[in-house]
Amino acid sequence: MAEYKRAKWADWADKIRSLDDPARNFEKPEALDDIVVLDVSSRSMAGCYCSSMLAELGAETIRIEPPGGDIARTYSPNGILHQGTGLAYLQEGRNKYHITLDLEKEEGREIFKSLAGQADVIIETYPAGTMDSWGIGYEALSKINPRLIFVSITAFGQFGPESTRRQYDYDNVSQARSGIQYGTGEVLPEGKTVQEVPYAVPTKAGPWIAWAVSGTFGALGTLAAIHYREITGEGQAIDISTAEAYERLHDYALHWYADQGVLNERFGNLDTALWLYGFFPTKDGGVFLGGLRLEMWKAFVDILGKWDEWKAEEWTTLAPFMKKDWQLKYQAMINPLTAQYTSQELTQKSIEYAKTGRLAPITPIVAEIVSPWKAMQDENWKDRGMFTPVQDPVYGSVVCAQAQWKATETPPRTKWVCRPVGYDNGYVYLNYLGYGPTKLKELEGKGII
Amino acid sequence: MTVFKDYVKNKYSRPAPLKGLRVLEVCTLLFGPAGPSFLATMGAEVIKIELPPAGDVTRSLNPFGWFYREQGPMFMHINPTKYYMALDLHKEEAQKIFKELCAKSDIVEFNLRPAVTRRWNIDYDEIRKVNPGIIYVEKNGFGQWGQYAEEDRPSNDGAAQALAGYAWMSSFPNRPPLKQSIWICDVYGALMCEVAVLAALHYRRKTGKGQYIEMSQSENIMRAMGWIWPYQQLTGKGAEPSGNRDQCICPADTFLCKDDLFVAIAAPAPDEFKGLCAAMGQAKLAEDPRFKEHATRLKDENALAILKIIADWARTKTASEIEELGKKNGFAATRLHTSKDMYEDPHRRARGFVKEIDDPLYGTYPDHEFPVMMSKTPPKNKWTVRPVGFDNEYIMTKILGRSQAQIEELYSQGVLGKWKDQQGRRPPKEWDGQSGAILRR
Repeated sequence: MAEYKRAKWADWADKIRSLDDPARNFEKPEALDDIVVLDVSSRSMAGCYCSSMLAELGAETIRIEPPGGDIARTYSPNGILHQGTGLAYLQEGRNKYHITLDLEKEEGREIFKSLAGQADVIIETYPAGTMDSWGIGYEALSKINPRLIFVSITAFGQFGPESTRRQYDYDNVSQARSGIQYGTGEVLPEGKTVQEVPYAVPTKAGPWIAWAVSGTFGALGTLAAIHYREITGEGQAIDISTAEAYERLHDYALHWYADQGVLNERFGNLDTALWLYGFFPTKDGGVFLGGLRLEMWKAFVDILGKWDEWKAEEWTTLAPFMKKDWQLKYQAMINPLTAQYTSQELTQKSIEYAKTGRLAPITPIVAEIVSPWKAMQDENWKDRGMFTPVQDPVYGSVVCAQAQWKATETPPRTKWVCRPVGYDNGYVYLNYLGYGPTKLKELEGKGII
Repeated sequence: MTVFKDYVKNKYSRPAPLKGLRVLEVCTLLFGPAGPSFLATMGAEVIKIELPPAGDVTRSLNPFGWFYREQGPMFMHINPTKYYMALDLHKEEAQKIFKELCAKSDIVEFNLRPAVTRRWNIDYDEIRKVNPGIIYVEKNGFGQWGQYAEEDRPSNDGAAQALAGYAWMSSFPNRPPLKQSIWICDVYGALMCEVAVLAALHYRRKTGKGQYIEMSQSENIMRAMGWIWPYQQLTGKGAEPSGNRDQCICPADTFLCKDDLFVAIAAPAPDEFKGLCAAMGQAKLAEDPRFKEHATRLKDENALAILKIIADWARTKTASEIEELGKKNGFAATRLHTSKDMYEDPHRRARGFVKEIDDPLYGTYPDHEFPVMMSKTPPKNKWTVRPVGFDNEYIMTKILGRSQAQIEELYSQGVLGKWKDQQGRRPPKEWDGQSGAILRR
């Protein structure tokens, strides 16, 4: 653990830590240990992410794949497999029991119905209508189990004119459909074409952020439905479109277009709605600079040594700085100045300014733009349990992002990262359906499991 | 699925899932307030408590100088369907009132610097005394403990994107890191935090116990970055960005079309890949040993080769033509949508995902519905924001039973407050002095 100067309120930090340190998660109970989840996601990490969130909270989560496994197991950079499993699945197989079942066969569907009769939640990601056509859609299953919560996460949703499309849901396609990708990316320099500057185009963000968003909305909707069910005894169907779920995170673009006819055009590393707010270059990379109050922006100008030259003393409002032309003008003035320092130097300057600057303790936010490699080595996150490796019985020691929130009673936790295809057939089928080795062998022979 | 037939039409004949829950929010900007909004649209009664008379900073923010009826548009979209109270929590009497409210609430959420709640005598220990079942949430940049928290580092969405390694992964190769245009760490973190809250609620139902939850702006997004962490651990190499190309799925990328519009395509599964190759008139590519199996196709040299073939083909078709071919041949494809599509697309409208809000103060304007459609309990985005302290009288009367004289007294002591005469804090100019007020005189 890194040494650092303790805060004046260190007793508070110590106290909270003593209550919610993830290092002690396994001493605590689990919020959802009375809930059984069946995850029949196909091709979609949104469904897997959704069931991960519930599994991290203790739900008994049974992941059902076709014999041979879901293609999602092959999702991996450069096709890398770790003991036969793609690296993405090595994150989202966490805490789940893995069984196989062929839903395209009648006998497989009958078995699925028996499991559904004992489940609280089903998560599925087939194109709308697929589960119905197999006779295991919500209407059929709710007759067997009226308490069932049936979550569908798809590209286009369960109703509406586009919902008849038989296409699977993929993150990059939903990002494009959401309207958000259009507004993210570098600005095409004037007079240039996309062929000349192929990186100045609408750009998708992050690794599978749209899938993570729809999966998380799925978990939230599920928990709300459980709340309602505890009161009324009634289950229900939940319909999420990944493109919509992600689009919901956009703030004002829809309203702006409707009211002003303004399209959400790209604005590079600045922000259409905020100042001082953006990424700026440094000698060794770049930093985020933030100062949403006038004094913070002035403090930054002071740090750059431009207080007098730019007449910061006379500024009384941030309003004009938010306008597009001023943002671009000041960006052009700031860039060469920040580029004289390293990210670390600039961060230090901000910390020093908070102590001794003209406007101290006011100072701008300076944050180095770090690589994920650097983030993973950062002692602060390690100390907070973010990258504690999971000691998996099959896959060995694997780093998983975890401890994404801390809690005093029922924190999330990761027990194992994944299981090979069909690994839990023996246990799960025995436990839920009383199928012993003889029956399983028969089903295997018929290609059902 | 027939249960969603007439979903939009019948929405208001069905209850919301969280009816009966009461949530208090002492939050500003985005990371804090976005979460309680999700609960509000799902039917919880959310009381937003601001410091009078200026309230939430977001009331001042605007894209390129555009305000909607004097209000900050982002404030409107991050804060729908709440009740607005202004209570000066620096004052002892206000802290007492706050505790009275906590005693009658299920959830309370803050985004303050560490230990500020203690300074205000409303920290978890204090609130637990009046309500042992309370679910108590603190959200901020770096949590309540650890080096960055104790250094009192300020944070916001852009800093979190930078520090988590998230922005690094969003640019094209060999280009500077790219900030995402939306405040993803704020709103995604707020969303994830409500998963924590509703799980805690389930636990409380079983045991009667509340709990304390803390969430950091950077940590939430790290959870969503999936494969990057084991990749770095197992290969010993840092993950690097790849622009619009999905490094884990192939093909999955965005392509420039004949009409200079863009189309996004994904086709990893055998049926999808065959469908795409057939659409390109190159059916035999699906049998090419470099491309036949998904895991082999993902090898960088193979992936770049097939993406080049698709890019060349895409340039000969319009974006809409490719979207149609996707439908016909069973691979995922869409032309890139814009905010114009958000507003005009018949599909979004038919699903009620985009709809008009009819607000007594702010008139009619379009907004997004909560994106989880629930067959028995449809969530509903009903009204927009209110001036600072707008619902004080209603809350003080309905929940705490204070008389008009007592309320006046609290105003005179500065415990309760109303809006400052400033843009975004006061009612819009068109306001008639009555509309939208729940208690009227």
